[in-house]
Amino acid sequence: MAGMVNDLLNIANSEAGKLIVGLVGVLAFVVVNALMLTWAERKIAGHMQRRIGPKEVGPYGLIQPIADAIKLLGKEILTPAKVDRPLYYLAPTLIFVPVLVSFIVIPFDASLQVTDINVGILVILAFSSITILSILMAGWGSENKYSLIGAIRSVAQNVAYEIPLLLALLPVIMLANSLSLKEIVEKQQSLWFVIVQPLAFIIYFIAGVAETNRTPFDLPEAESELVAGYHTEYSGMRFALFFLAEYTNIFIVCAIATIFFLGGYQGPVLPGIVWFLLKSYLLVFVIIWLRWTYPRVRFDQLLNFAWKGLIPLAFLNLIITGGLLKI
Amino acid sequence: MSGIIEEIKACVPGAGPVEVSYPEKGYHYALEASADTLPGLVGFFDEKRFYLECLLCTDYADYLELVYLFNTHLSPCRVKVTLKIDPQHPVAPSLSAIYASAYWYEREIHEFYGVLFTGHPNMAYLFLHDGIDHYPLRKANVPVSPEDQKRLDSFKPGEAEDTFCINLGPQHPSTHGVLRVVLKMDGEYIEQAEPVLGYLHRMHEKMAENRSYQQFLPNTGRMDYLGAMSFNLGYVLAVEKLCAIPVPDRAKFVRIITTELNRISSHLLWVGAYLADLGALTPFLFVFDDREQILDVLEGVSGSRLTYCYFRFGGLYNDVDDRFIAGTKAFVQRMWRRFTLYEKLVTGNVIFINRTKGIGTITKEQARKYGVAGPVLRSAGIACDLRKEEPYSAYNEVEFDVPIGEHGDVLDTYRVRIAEMENSLRIIEQALAKLPGGPFMAEKVPKKLKPPRGDVYQVVETPRGELGIYIVSDESDGPSRMKWRVPSFSNLMIFPELAKGVLLADAVAILGSLDLVIPEIDR
Amino acid sequence: MFPVKFALVEKVLDLARANSLWPVTFGLACCAIEMMAAAMSRFDLDRFGAGVFRASPRQADLMIVTGTVTKKMAPVLTTLYEQMPSPKWVIAMGNCAISGGPFVFEGQYNLVEGVDLLIPVDVYVPGCPPRPEALLEGFLKLQEKITGTRRFPRVESAW
Repeated sequence: MAGMVNDLLNIANSEAGKLIVGLVGVLAFVVVNALMLTWAERKIAGHMQRRIGPKEVGPYGLIQPIADAIKLLGKEILTPAKVDRPLYYLAPTLIFVPVLVSFIVIPFDASLQVTDINVGILVILAFSSITILSILMAGWGSENKYSLIGAIRSVAQNVAYEIPLLLALLPVIMLANSLSLKEIVEKQQSLWFVIVQPLAFIIYFIAGVAETNRTPFDLPEAESELVAGYHTEYSGMRFALFFLAEYTNIFIVCAIATIFFLGGYQGPVLPGIVWFLLKSYLLVFVIIWLRWTYPRVRFDQLLNFAWKGLIPLAFLNLIITGGLLKI
Repeated sequence: MSGIIEEIKACVPGAGPVEVSYPEKGYHYALEASADTLPGLVGFFDEKRFYLECLLCTDYADYLELVYLFNTHLSPCRVKVTLKIDPQHPVAPSLSAIYASAYWYEREIHEFYGVLFTGHPNMAYLFLHDGIDHYPLRKANVPVSPEDQKRLDSFKPGEAEDTFCINLGPQHPSTHGVLRVVLKMDGEYIEQAEPVLGYLHRMHEKMAENRSYQQFLPNTGRMDYLGAMSFNLGYVLAVEKLCAIPVPDRAKFVRIITTELNRISSHLLWVGAYLADLGALTPFLFVFDDREQILDVLEGVSGSRLTYCYFRFGGLYNDVDDRFIAGTKAFVQRMWRRFTLYEKLVTGNVIFINRTKGIGTITKEQARKYGVAGPVLRSAGIACDLRKEEPYSAYNEVEFDVPIGEHGDVLDTYRVRIAEMENSLRIIEQALAKLPGGPFMAEKVPKKLKPPRGDVYQVVETPRGELGIYIVSDESDGPSRMKWRVPSFSNLMIFPELAKGVLLADAVAILGSLDLVIPEIDR
Repeated sequence: MFPVKFALVEKVLDLARANSLWPVTFGLACCAIEMMAAAMSRFDLDRFGAGVFRASPRQADLMIVTGTVTKKMAPVLTTLYEQMPSPKWVIAMGNCAISGGPFVFEGQYNLVEGVDLLIPVDVYVPGCPPRPEALLEGFLKLQEKITGTRRFPRVESAW
């Protein structure tokens, strides 16, 4: 008996054990975060629009996302007859993969990181390109003109805005001299990078909003033009997966902004994880705020803004930073 | 226009124009044309820059009569041209080469009466569904002829090599109503846009022939549910003109107060719905807040929130009380402050300006050819507002401006509508100050109306533009023919032209800016 | 072996479905404006969980038929209804959707007299147009139909 407990403790303390505990924790966090963000979005939208959001379902409407989730689980699993089955079935599952992988390298606290890969940011950026692939699969496989238009718009938009995203992160990487997320946070002990690189922060934030397909850049799901964009033909749990992936992506974008520019988990008095979540959720609030304030930009204006506006600015910023570092 | 009779006689010999009493009839001149003189007359009117206000058909038992109403935008001069057609073989020349607005009017007359227009490019069915087997507005039951049977199922958009067709509607995520537009697209650019109508055809004109004048009153509110007061007003003015019923002064002022309140609520809803089309969802809720104030005030006096039926022949349904006056004053105070909110949230927003500037530009010539009306017409630069041109009720006793735009693009229609709301507030303030006492209903209005034989035409300015009501009476207590010339119908006609070669997002922006209400198009 | 009891699962599913009814945007005529007013700040349908109006019928559970159904629109309506995955419900709002409304007259040629001639209807909300509070009451009645219990006590009328 004591031997078995000892064995269990040894397993738990080993590398593999820590990994498994970390993965389970990350999964739980992803689910709770997505549920909470749906509630937060409706409540914040409600208060901005001079009304109360969900109220009846549990105190302050807190059970509302759980009711939504159970309802979506209980819906009929409907597959339209003419869809391209492999693409149609694979798209919702594929969109969740980069989200989960990204969480593995995010440091919630000095010791709360599933594993510290030394090319952490590269892992995140590489896997986030799979999102585009899955959106295209959803749009193409649905055999629906609206989905196709939405998916193609999304591909053009994501390709255009990934470049300023990368270019805005490069100066910080140059300043911190490392690609590992934990080291970048550690280098911000004295000065947050947002003070040194304000332009990069703004460019990264705008490009991040565009990457997650949020208003004012939500053309792929433009409701008034395209019914529901690339997920028109999805119902029930498959649709829920798209939804959850979108909200989790929002959190990842804000988390990376926090890590790169706002000091990550650094902060006085309170434990590191509280600071990290506070800063990230502040940026999430700003993204939700933007959605309910601005109208949508037009497609060619969107691409013009990226190619002729953000990318030259980001290049300029990069060159100036590189020059100053050399001096 | 004085001297027009001599000009018509000189230009088209054989025509015999007659001057008619405008206060009794609603038009200035009437003349009867034949199939030979009609093209010459129409060319003359086109040269003199008239626009085709309305084209309708009436079924008298021995003959069908086509009525063309021509008018000028400024200094109104309405000419009614009639053409008699044989009911057994109804054929008439088509005007769609000269006036683009005749294209749809003629299709409508074709499917409701069976009149064939020679020279019309596409005589397909516009409103009715595929299972229709008779011409509905004919008095006798005339079955659909064999050539027209083939035209029933004729709407099939052709798909070419590099293009595809998508539907915008009839189920819309936004508030357009049941309008279906088939777009032939090349990537994101639209090659051709074709509206398909008739999804909400509720047979108002046929009902008018089966109802008495009083029984038709509720229908007027359902035709344009956002501007129901002005439709009500047009109808009661038309019948009062027909039967020569006087209206007391108090009723006149109350009528314009309630109509202007309705105009503000309609424009507010347009602002909200338009921004929801463009993607900003929050102003939609703010305008509904403001609207609720108006709806409370109007509900206290008329009983309904949306589809009012407040006016009666000779006055109002019931009098306004102090609560109405206090409520209206409070609303006016509040609304003046709200304009700064909308200014900051919407008008100054750079994304909004980029989405709307230079989009959907309408030239003055296009506006004339298509007969567009309302804020769309005023944004093109033509200062034509029927409340000033042909004043009715108490509009000649209040002072207001007619805002116009410069470029004719979508941003100008937005600005014109906001300015119109400010002017409506001014009208309401002045009318409240001048509100006289006295009776609200004329004395001795007969329960069973006995109008003289003949026709009248009445125009009013609704929030969407110029509404025209043409009533033919045969001395019974119900109309023999009632035609509604609605502004959304002529505004929609210009959409296929504006949508050529634009992006899909721009087409949605243009469609929203025309402020369409589908039940009035489909009647 | 041992019996499988589903009652609790059914109950939880019913509660979840009733508290998270997502309507599909299907406004036909005048009643659509009152439905929009019911979803706005004053009468807020989002309190009961129905705030998210989905544009695509595949993601919605509730179809509120607001307005007149004409013969040209009837196939469109049935197609939309069939595209919704079950479980789905229908509220017929306004006199036109219930029985044709004020547009029924002798010799009418274009009207479907009532949407229940086409699709099964769960709750009827009469009025022309019904007030937003009437639509909220219809909504609560639908929730009562799904779960079996009513959320707010019934208000007794004064006369």
